[in-house]
Amino acid sequence: MSKKIDLSIDFLGVHCENPFFLSSSPVCHNYEMIAKCFDIGWGGVFYKTVGILGMNECSPRFDIVRKEGTPFVGFKNMEQISEHTWQENAEIIKKLKHDYPTKVMGVSIMGANDEEWALLAREMTKAGADMLELNFSCPQMTSHAMGSDVGMNPELVERYTRVVKQNTHLPVIAKMTPNITHIEDPSKGALRGGADAVSTINTIKSICNIDIENLTGKPVVNGKSSISGYSGAAVKPIALRFIAQLKQDPELANLPVSGIGGIETWQDAVEFLLLGAENLQVTTSVMQYGYRIVEDMKDGLANFMEAHGYTSLRDFIGKALPNVIPCENLDRSFQIIPKIDLDKCVGCGRCAISCFDGGHQAIDFDTKTRKPTITDKCVGCHLCLNVCPVFDCITPGEIKFKKGCEPHDVKRQHCYYA
Amino acid sequence: MTKVRQLPYGEPAEKGLNVRLVMEEASRCLLCEDAPCSHDCPAGTDPGRFIRSIRFRNFTGACKTIRHNNILGASCAEICPQERLCEKACSRCGIDKPIQIGKLQAFAMEQERLLGLKILEAAPSCGKKVACIGAGPSGLAVAAELAKLGVSVTVYDENEKAGGMLRYGITPSRLSDEIIDQDIKAVESLGVKFELSRRIDKNELDKLVAQYDAVYVGVGLSASKMIPNLKGTDLKGVETALAFLKRARIAGGKIEDLGRVVIIGGGDVAMDCASTAKQCGAKSVYVAFIETLETMPASKRELDYIVDLGVPVIPAFKPVQLNGEDHVTSVELAAMEGNSKITLDADTVIFAVGQKVQDDYKGMTSDGKIFVGGDLANGGKTVVEAVASGKDIAGEIAKFLHI
Ligand SMILES: Cc1cc2nc3c(=O)[nH]c(=O)nc-3n(C[C@H](O)[C@H](O)[C@H](O)COP(=O)(O)O)c2cc1C
Ligand code: SF4
Ligand code: SF4
Ligand code: SF4
Repeated sequence: MSKKIDLSIDFLGVHCENPFFLSSSPVCHNYEMIAKCFDIGWGGVFYKTVGILGMNECSPRFDIVRKEGTPFVGFKNMEQISEHTWQENAEIIKKLKHDYPTKVMGVSIMGANDEEWALLAREMTKAGADMLELNFSCPQMTSHAMGSDVGMNPELVERYTRVVKQNTHLPVIAKMTPNITHIEDPSKGALRGGADAVSTINTIKSICNIDIENLTGKPVVNGKSSISGYSGAAVKPIALRFIAQLKQDPELANLPVSGIGGIETWQDAVEFLLLGAENLQVTTSVMQYGYRIVEDMKDGLANFMEAHGYTSLRDFIGKALPNVIPCENLDRSFQIIPKIDLDKCVGCGRCAISCFDGGHQAIDFDTKTRKPTITDKCVGCHLCLNVCPVFDCITPGEIKFKKGCEPHDVKRQHCYYA
Repeated sequence: MTKVRQLPYGEPAEKGLNVRLVMEEASRCLLCEDAPCSHDCPAGTDPGRFIRSIRFRNFTGACKTIRHNNILGASCAEICPQERLCEKACSRCGIDKPIQIGKLQAFAMEQERLLGLKILEAAPSCGKKVACIGAGPSGLAVAAELAKLGVSVTVYDENEKAGGMLRYGITPSRLSDEIIDQDIKAVESLGVKFELSRRIDKNELDKLVAQYDAVYVGVGLSASKMIPNLKGTDLKGVETALAFLKRARIAGGKIEDLGRVVIIGGGDVAMDCASTAKQCGAKSVYVAFIETLETMPASKRELDYIVDLGVPVIPAFKPVQLNGEDHVTSVELAAMEGNSKITLDADTVIFAVGQKVQDDYKGMTSDGKIFVGGDLANGGKTVVEAVASGKDIAGEIAKFLHI
């Protein structure tokens, strides 16, 4: 890694050696795991949600969405919070903080009433946590007084946040659920209750697959299944959307955000940072590939920063926000007509099929030569470009201005690595 | 229609993978724990690690891993016999076929070229000076490893360009000047200096030994062997493999009048002579060797390559004499078993029957300030093994110099 690049960031007044944290989940629920992840280079963790009692979990508890040859496009789990009691967890946290004083110990907590929230806040503060994350967002709790049922209710979020703030001096982060239309509403509740930041997203309520012989969802737990949380690469677009919504709300714009959802590469990390996240949390890709993925996240992020002349994360955090605008404000004065490199074209005809059946019948496909030609019916939707199996064969070409529209400079999409 | 492949001199023999195919290939990788592929790279290039970087889109990181571990990473990507090294060890063999590790490495090195990445930089000086004789694979590796420790290194070579066998013993369709230059540039970026077109004989060697804190002799096996007592090897039109490959490389493939070519030898160098002769416009090319197809030393990949180019091979025949008055006109071959005989008309006969050390360095071993390695010490192996040997010797030299 380059010497000039600094990946550290102060988040809520806590110094983090890098922005990469494990999100609260089975990737960080005991001493050995967290010690190993710290040794490999993670900046901190949000310790697996601590409740009053340990949970009683089902088996099996995972399912995946697979797409031809790519396992784990998305991941579904039916787990709840920590299987240990709060006393057991407090001991582990104390020992970790002692052995790794420079690493950041966020601790996720979840209570079912004022008293439980207050107790957990006090005890985890005492155990040596650096920040508290309030889990208002687990979608598969066996109690409706907990998890995303609470997180969908701005009043309850405000109330429990306030209770926690009254029982700790630590920064408090409210973890929000994506199972809602306007994530801004409960987030404002958290802000009123005194939250120092929000984190999002937790998992999305889902049924990934149906077992068509057992007539239930997957995973099958003794012939039955439940709606439960979906995470991993597939949810990144939804996470980015919620983060943009939070950061663009005038009331919430200054509330720091910790970004979660489908982060797997440095490139994903940069995307969250560009939308204003100041801290990054990861679970599913760690479950799939292990803690070691942080090595390429850190190195890749540093390489990106070096190539762009950034020396600290704050140089570019939030830089993409001004360019995410309402649909009605987009420049609609032109069409970018794709061009086809006939030397590269292998003559599969996929562009023509998609353009006809899903577009504007703008590609003539010569069945003798097996070569496509784009006609003037093309509207520049770029379906063909996304469908073509050959790298760099169909690319954005000429810019055509619509009738009556003044020609002007048009900024094009940057094709990094397809 | 001809089934024979036409490939102009110097055009790449194999196509590289574009970024999309690279991502597909990298996602086939099982990202093994304690990766077997990494264990089986002689030079410790660590494919398990750089493939993981590619998989997680950290292409620059992949380049760093390769460069730090193997100073000739770009060349090795092209010419390593991966099928009997890293790819043979690949866990994915147990599912279908191995990851194309060489191709992924070539892609990473292509990124280094395209993005103009400067990965290595000169280390602060430790005050020691070392000379390397021979700018071939092992000399370059020794030079790079020592330079990383802050040693001031000068590399001497008799040829006009650095690279040794990389440049003059391999045909450019398999290893282009561009890629060799990329590796040399990496060596130079560490502050290593080159004195080219400088032949170091015994006499000069003594001077260097006096001048430097240590001298590495990595002159390789740069003289060609001949079959002893074979009648007609002094005729015009008879030459050795290295002389032929070198003159083809220098002339950019423009050598005329090869006429009908017969190549004697069954190793990779013989295969390279065959493809080169074909690409230089020889009227016909035959390759004959004493081994069988099973026991010939050339890799299957090399044999397939020349067969694709339409070169007939004659296994299990040995040359018995070369005919001609002043210039060679034919070669007589006899079967290793039985009584079959073949006479091939020939205007050019190329011997690729192995290499030996130049007379000046015959029998030389490490002694005092002098360190001997590479092909000279191990009797001629692959480039990646020369890099490995170079890394080891650099370690010995560093110990000797107390750094
Ligand atoms: C198996 C599993 C268990 C989880 N347990 C918790 C939990 O106890 N507390 C919590 O706040 N989030 C929990 N989560 C949600 C994750 O912390 C994270 O918000 C979500 O998985 C999205 O991030 P990802 O795509 O990187 O996995 C869990 C997720 C998974 C997959
Ligand atoms: S992953 Fe480990 S704990 Fe889970 S089922 Fe397999 S062996 Fe058991
Ligand atoms: S999809 Fe691509 S390769 Fe296939 S016909 Fe169209 S342009 Fe050619
Ligand atoms: S052995 Fe094969 S599958 Fe395993 S890490 Fe190496 S290349 Fe990948």
